[in-house]
Amino acid sequence: MSGIAQKLASNQKQVAISEFFEKNKHFLGFDSLARSLITAVKEAVDNALDACEEARILPTIRIQISKLDPKKDIIKLVVEDNGPGIPQKSIEKVFGQLLFGSRFHAIRQSRGQQGIGITGVVMYCQLTTGRTTHVRSKIATEPTAAIVDIGLDTRKNKATKANAGREMWYNEDGSSKEHGTEITAQMKAKYQKGRQSVWQYLRMTSIVNPHAEIIFIDPEGEKHHWTRVTERLPTKVESIKPHPHGIELGQLQRMVSESNDLNLNHFLLNNFSGVTNRARKELCQAAELEGTRKMKTLKGDDIRQLLEAFQGERLFNGQPAKLLKPPTNCLSPIEEILIKKGLSKTIDSRFVTTLTRVPSVTQGNPFQVEVGLIFGGTMAGDKPVEILRFANRVPLMYQQGGCLLTKAIESVDWRQYGLDQAGGKGVPKGPAAILVHLASTNVQFTSEAKEALADNGEVMEEARKAMLEMGRGLRKHLEKKKKMAKTKEKFELINDILPAIAEKSAQLLNRPVPELSGSITKIMSAVICESTTEWNKETKQTDVDIVLFNYTTRPRAYTILATWPEKSGAKMENNDTGGRKEALGVWAWKLEALQPGERKHITYSLSGLERGDWTETEILFRGAQDVIGATKMDEKFLQEIRRQEQLFLEGENENTQSAQTKNESSPEPNPQEAPIAATAPVTTEIVEPAVAPPEGQRTLFGGDV
Amino acid sequence: MSRMHTPEETKAAMHEVVAEMYDRIVKGEPPTMTLPVRTKNNIGFDKKLGVYKYGKKQSIRDATSLGSAKQLLRALHVVEFIEEMLDAGKSSTLREMYYISESWGMGKFGSQNESNNLAEDLEIVTKCLREDFKLRPEEDGARMIGNLTLRERNRRGEWMRINARDDVGDSGYGVPYNVELEKIELLEHDIDFIMAIETGGMFDRLIENGFDEDFRCGLLHLKGQPARSTRRIMKRMSEEWDLPVVVFLDGDPWSFRIFASIAYGAIKTAHISEYLATPSATYLGITADDIVAYDLPSDDLSKKDIEALNAELSDPRFADSWWQDQINMMLELGKKAEQQSLAKYGLDFVTETYLPEKLAELGLA
Repeated sequence: MSGIAQKLASNQKQVAISEFFEKNKHFLGFDSLARSLITAVKEAVDNALDACEEARILPTIRIQISKLDPKKDIIKLVVEDNGPGIPQKSIEKVFGQLLFGSRFHAIRQSRGQQGIGITGVVMYCQLTTGRTTHVRSKIATEPTAAIVDIGLDTRKNKATKANAGREMWYNEDGSSKEHGTEITAQMKAKYQKGRQSVWQYLRMTSIVNPHAEIIFIDPEGEKHHWTRVTERLPTKVESIKPHPHGIELGQLQRMVSESNDLNLNHFLLNNFSGVTNRARKELCQAAELEGTRKMKTLKGDDIRQLLEAFQGERLFNGQPAKLLKPPTNCLSPIEEILIKKGLSKTIDSRFVTTLTRVPSVTQGNPFQVEVGLIFGGTMAGDKPVEILRFANRVPLMYQQGGCLLTKAIESVDWRQYGLDQAGGKGVPKGPAAILVHLASTNVQFTSEAKEALADNGEVMEEARKAMLEMGRGLRKHLEKKKKMAKTKEKFELINDILPAIAEKSAQLLNRPVPELSGSITKIMSAVICESTTEWNKETKQTDVDIVLFNYTTRPRAYTILATWPEKSGAKMENNDTGGRKEALGVWAWKLEALQPGERKHITYSLSGLERGDWTETEILFRGAQDVIGATKMDEKFLQEIRRQEQLFLEGENENTQSAQTKNESSPEPNPQEAPIAATAPVTTEIVEPAVAPPEGQRTLFGGDV
Repeated sequence: MSRMHTPEETKAAMHEVVAEMYDRIVKGEPPTMTLPVRTKNNIGFDKKLGVYKYGKKQSIRDATSLGSAKQLLRALHVVEFIEEMLDAGKSSTLREMYYISESWGMGKFGSQNESNNLAEDLEIVTKCLREDFKLRPEEDGARMIGNLTLRERNRRGEWMRINARDDVGDSGYGVPYNVELEKIELLEHDIDFIMAIETGGMFDRLIENGFDEDFRCGLLHLKGQPARSTRRIMKRMSEEWDLPVVVFLDGDPWSFRIFASIAYGAIKTAHISEYLATPSATYLGITADDIVAYDLPSDDLSKKDIEALNAELSDPRFADSWWQDQINMMLELGKKAEQQSLAKYGLDFVTETYLPEKLAELGLA
C-alpha cells in the first residue's frame, strides 16, 4: 500500500487527483457505496465534535440524508453543527486542505486519526457527481454567515471555490443562528441499515459523546434523536512531546532534520517527554554521541545510534538509560459515569457496569482502557453480544474479528459470569453489549483502513483485566437479582398472601382473624436487607436508604458496608448513623445487635452528582448469619479496591496541575482559533504518511493557504 | 365405595381443610395442606376394591414458598366458591371457575390446569366428588348404541325413558357429565356384553355393519382417554347389569394406558378408582400378537412410544405377566398398529372375522 503511495509521490509528477483517489480509496474509507456515506458522515461529525470540544461548546449536531436519485444511488447529505464556526478566510483551507505535513511531534489523544478529513468528502462528491459541496458557516462575532461552494477541478488538480458570499442564517424557529457550520454534499452512495450503517455510527458516537445531542433524519424521513445526558464536556487534553520509547526511525530522522535546536543536548531536552537532564546524559553516552553536536551534523548512523539508545539496545553502564514515564494527562477518558449514561440512554437494559482503568504506558505511549457492559432489557438473549469498539472516542465499525479489543473480549471465559459462550471461547452470547474504548496518543491499527486495533500485549492485558472485573460485576448483579427476586417473593408472601389466607380461613370458619407474627418469623427465617437509591429532585442529591429486618428468633449483629461513588467526587451528607470509611468508595457501619422482629434504617444522601449518575448501591455485610439482599464481604475484593485506590491517588497527585487548568478553562467559544486547531488533527500514528499527496501539492489550493 | 355427599357433608369436609390452615397460623406456624403424593410411585393395588388407590405417601404443601402459599389461598377461594354454589343450587364448569378466579385477586389461577388440579386436590383431601362440589368437566361424555334402556332426568326435572337403539339416531345416546342416580337410572337391557371402542371411525364402522345387533352388545365410544362420566357409566352397567366389558383399542402404548385407567384406575384419579374403574374389563385388541397374527399394516414406534412402553413396564398396573409379555413384544417388534388397519382385508373383516375370533377366545361369541 505504502509502495503505491510512495510511487505516486516520487515518480509521477502529474497524477490526476481522481486517479490518486481511486487507487487509495480503500483506506480513505470510500471503497463501497455504503461505506462512502458512513465515511462522509463520520468526517463531518468528527469535525463538529472536535470543534465544539476545542471551543468548549456543548454540541448539537443534525444530520439529514435524502435520496436524490434512488436509481443511481445519488444521495444528499446535510450536516449542521452549533460549533464555533469557521472564519470566511479559513473555510477553503479547512475543506480544501489535505492533511499532510502537520506537526508530527505534538502528541495527544485526538479523534481525527482516520481518513483524510472532510477534504476527502469534497473530492469524493466532485468525482462521483460532479457537484460542489456547499458550506455555510457563521462565527459569533459576525452578523452574517459565510457561504461558499467548494469543488475540485479535476483537469487542473486544484480545488475550486464559487459563489462565495454572505447571508443571514436563520434557525428553524426563525431566530438567527449564533454560530455553527453546515455542509451540504451530493454524492454517489448507498444508505443501508444494520450493523454497519450511518445509524449505527451515530448511535455509537452518541454513546461515547454523552455531552452531544445528535439528531439524524434518515432517507425515509424518520427522526432519530440521541439526547444529551450530561453538561460535562470532555476534559481538555494537553499535548505532550513524544517519549523516546515510542519513536521510530523515520520520525526521528524528520525531527532531527526539522530541528532548530542548538545542539543534541537541547534537542533531547526540548522535544521529548520523560528526558531529564540525567537521562539526556545517559542517552548521549549510550549513543556514543557528544551532547554538543550540532543537529545538522547528525547523519544516518548517528541517528540510528541515538534510536538504539532510546530503545535500550545501547546501554549506559550496562543499563538502558533511565527515562521517566510519559505524563498521562494527555488522555481524555470518557469516565465511568458518563459511559454508563451513554450506554443507558442508547440501549434499554437492567444493568450497566463500567470501568475506567488507571492509565498505563506502552512503548512510550500513554494509554487507558475503558469498558462498559450493559445487560438485560430488550436485547436478544440468544445472539452474540453486541461489541462496541472505540479508539479515542471514534467508533470502529469494520473488521471486528481482527481487532485487539474483540480478542480481549474473546479471551475471557464469560460462562463464569453468567453469559453463554461455546467452549468458553469466542464472542459470548446473551442479552448484553460490551463497550471497549482505547484512549491513547498513539493508536496502532492493523492496516491503513484503521478499523481494527493491532495486537499489543500491554493493551491486551489492561483490556482483559477490565473485562474480568466487569464480569465479576455482572455475576454479582445476577446473583443479587436472583436473591432479590426470592426476597421479593417472601415479602409478597408475608405481606399479601399470608394475611389473605388468615382472613379467608377465619371468615370461612367464622372465627377471629389470627395473629401472624409467629408464622411470619417461621416463614422468613432470615435477616433481610433492602436498599433504595433514589434521586431527590428538591435537594439535588441522591438519597440512599438501607433497611435491615431481623426475621429470625435470635438477636443478630452485623457490620453493613455500602459502595458509593467517592472517586467521582461525591460527598456523603446527612449520614446520621455515622460509621467510618472502609476504603475508597466503601463506607461501613457497625450495628448494635438487632433483636428478633426488629428493623434498623441507615440513611444518607450523596451530593456532587447529577441525576442518573448513581442508581444502585451495593450492600455488603460482615457477620455470621447470611443476609438476604446483601453480599458477604469478600476481603479479596476489598484488597483490590485498596490497590486501585493507591494507584488512583498517585495518579491524582501527578495530574493535579492539569486538573486545575481544566477546571479553569474558559467555556467561552473562541472562534478565531478553534476551527483551525480542530480541523488540523495531529495524526501522530502516521509516522510516514501512508497517502502521499500528488507532487508539490500540500493542499488542493496548491499550497497557497 | 364412594358416594355422593349432601351439601352439609361436603361443607364440613371442606372446613376440615380450612381448619388445618387456620390452626397452624394460630400455633404460629406456616399454614399447610396435606395431601397424598399423586405419582405412580404412590399407587398400590387395593385387594378389597380390586383397583389401584393412592398409597400412604403424603406431601405437605406449606406456605413457606410463594407458589405453595398461593395454592393455599386459591384453595380457600375455591372452597368459598363451592359453598356459594351449594347455597344457590348452581353448578359450574371447571373452565368457568377458572374465569371466575379472575376476580380473586392474589388467589387467581395462572392456568386452567392449575384450577383442574386444585379441584382434584380438594376431592382427594375431602373424599368428596367433583359432583359434590357442583363442578363439571369440560370434556364431553361418550356415545352409546345398543339395546339398552335407561332413564335420564332432563333439565326441567322430568324423567325421560330412552332406548339406546330405538330412540336415538346414528350418533347414539350422548352420555351426560353426571351419571349418578339422581340423574340416570339403568332400567333394562337385552345384550350380552359391552364393547368400549377407542376411535369414532371404528365405532361408526361397527354400527354401519350392524355389529351391535348381530352380536347382542352395547357399543360405547370412548373418544380417546375416556372422561370420568364414561368410565363411571361403564362401571355402573357392568355392576348393575352384571355384564362383561371388553375394550377394543388401537395397538399402541397410549391405548394400554387407556385400558389401565378403565380397568384399574387412573393415576390422577386414584382417590376415586373404586368409583370409576371396572376391574372386570378385558383388553380385546389390538394386541401386539395381533399385529403379527393378522399381519397388520403398522408404524414404527417413535422415541416417545418407546419411553411410554418402558414407563409402563415399571407401572404397578401392568405388573402381571400378560401385560409384561405384550409390552415386551411390542418393544421387540418396534411396531404399533391402529384399529382401522384391519381394513386392509376389507370393510367387513373387522366384524366378520377379527372380532368374532377375538370374542370367541373370551367365550363371548
